[in-house]
Amino acid sequence: MFRFVTHYIGFLKSVPTLGWLFDGLLKLWAFFTQPALLDWMDEIETEVLKWKRTTSVIHKYGGMQFNYNSKEIGHIHSNGLLDMLLNRSVKAQLMLDGRISDHHTFKNTGWISFYIHSAEDKDYALALLELGYKRLAIKLPD
Amino acid sequence: MLKKNLLTDLKAYGISNLFAVGIIAFDKYVIVDSHVNISGIFVFSEFIIVPLLMGIISAWFWRNAGLTSRELTGKSFINGIITIAMASIFLGEGSICLIIVSPLLFGSIISGALIGRAMFRRNNNTLNTSIVGLMLIVFVADSLSEHHYENMVSDTILVNAPPQQVWKNVVAFKRIKEKNKYWLFKIGMPSPVESTVEGYYLGAKRKCIFSNGYTFDEKIVTYDENKNLTFAITNQPRDPEIMGHIDIEQGQFLLKDNGNGTTTLVGNSWYKLYVFPTWYYDTWAQSITRNVHLRVMEHIKELSETK
Repeated sequence: MFRFVTHYIGFLKSVPTLGWLFDGLLKLWAFFTQPALLDWMDEIETEVLKWKRTTSVIHKYGGMQFNYNSKEIGHIHSNGLLDMLLNRSVKAQLMLDGRISDHHTFKNTGWISFYIHSAEDKDYALALLELGYKRLAIKLPD
Repeated sequence: MLKKNLLTDLKAYGISNLFAVGIIAFDKYVIVDSHVNISGIFVFSEFIIVPLLMGIISAWFWRNAGLTSRELTGKSFINGIITIAMASIFLGEGSICLIIVSPLLFGSIISGALIGRAMFRRNNNTLNTSIVGLMLIVFVADSLSEHHYENMVSDTILVNAPPQQVWKNVVAFKRIKEKNKYWLFKIGMPSPVESTVEGYYLGAKRKCIFSNGYTFDEKIVTYDENKNLTFAITNQPRDPEIMGHIDIEQGQFLLKDNGNGTTTLVGNSWYKLYVFPTWYYDTWAQSITRNVHLRVMEHIKELSETK
């Protein structure tokens, strides 16, 4: 469903508030079909916010965005899809493991996508966010 | 503790819904009636901005409750149910309308609650006031803007019979007995069942009867035998599912002789929408109109192909 929407009517995301609306519906869907996902996302948020100079905001197209010094580390849509930017070399290395994929719209960039389906995936998502956090911490030191 | 939580929930539901009723009433009776003079139109802001603000208001009551995302989503869902119940009671909306509007309400209320939670965690009053103020400005500007939307839906079907045989079934047809296939018709949305006409001539009155007994009164405005039947809708039923939301203005059947004993039958309908945003409601309007066309046209095909 998410892929269908982003592929065929993704251009509508530029309509103000539409991304938020869609993400709200994803949250409701998760509430009925996989409520644990909402808990895992809370746990990720709690953990990331323990890291120095991190904040969480609502992503412009809906979902939870994590920032380091106001620069985006990554964001999680309410269907459990983590999108984030990594170094291309790190991305290539991780792609070999087969757990992450190209970002659902930005192909051939450092952006990646990863679906959280289980508690194990939540831990992996946290590890990915930590990689992104460290990348920014080196790039944008205090 | 339980009593306190319940009281907080009741305040969150009650105040956010009262806000919605108040601002929509203010919009209808003060802003729109006195400035735009087109009452009855429901605009984008009423379906998106108001529910977003409802979510933000409810999040303000829950700001110290430490709710998890799961709890916040569940409570926002209940808030949406209350809103839908109030729309049914106070606005007299039909069940199909409420099904159609519910994704907008649920999505926006839940998003609003999440935005509100993020806002009140930061506790930046200047920023929070700016966000809510901006939303209210968008609401007023949207309400004062002119809203006008018309569209036409066209469908085509091949009938294995010559136009002369198809024509009589186009002008009027006996009762459709075929079971409904479209999901909205299956759950209770009225579907077309019969069409009657007082005569086969220009200006004749025609009726399109729906499954719940409601009738569209029509008048034939183009009668080009075996080629073009166009009818204007002179009176549409006061059904809460469509009343004030959509006006069907004109219908048309075009018959094209393919020269091989078959006919290409085209069904066209023109309508005016009174609910916005059109990117959402016109998708539904097109889907419903298309399924009304197909139900009638498939029946015409069956009648015409029967020896």
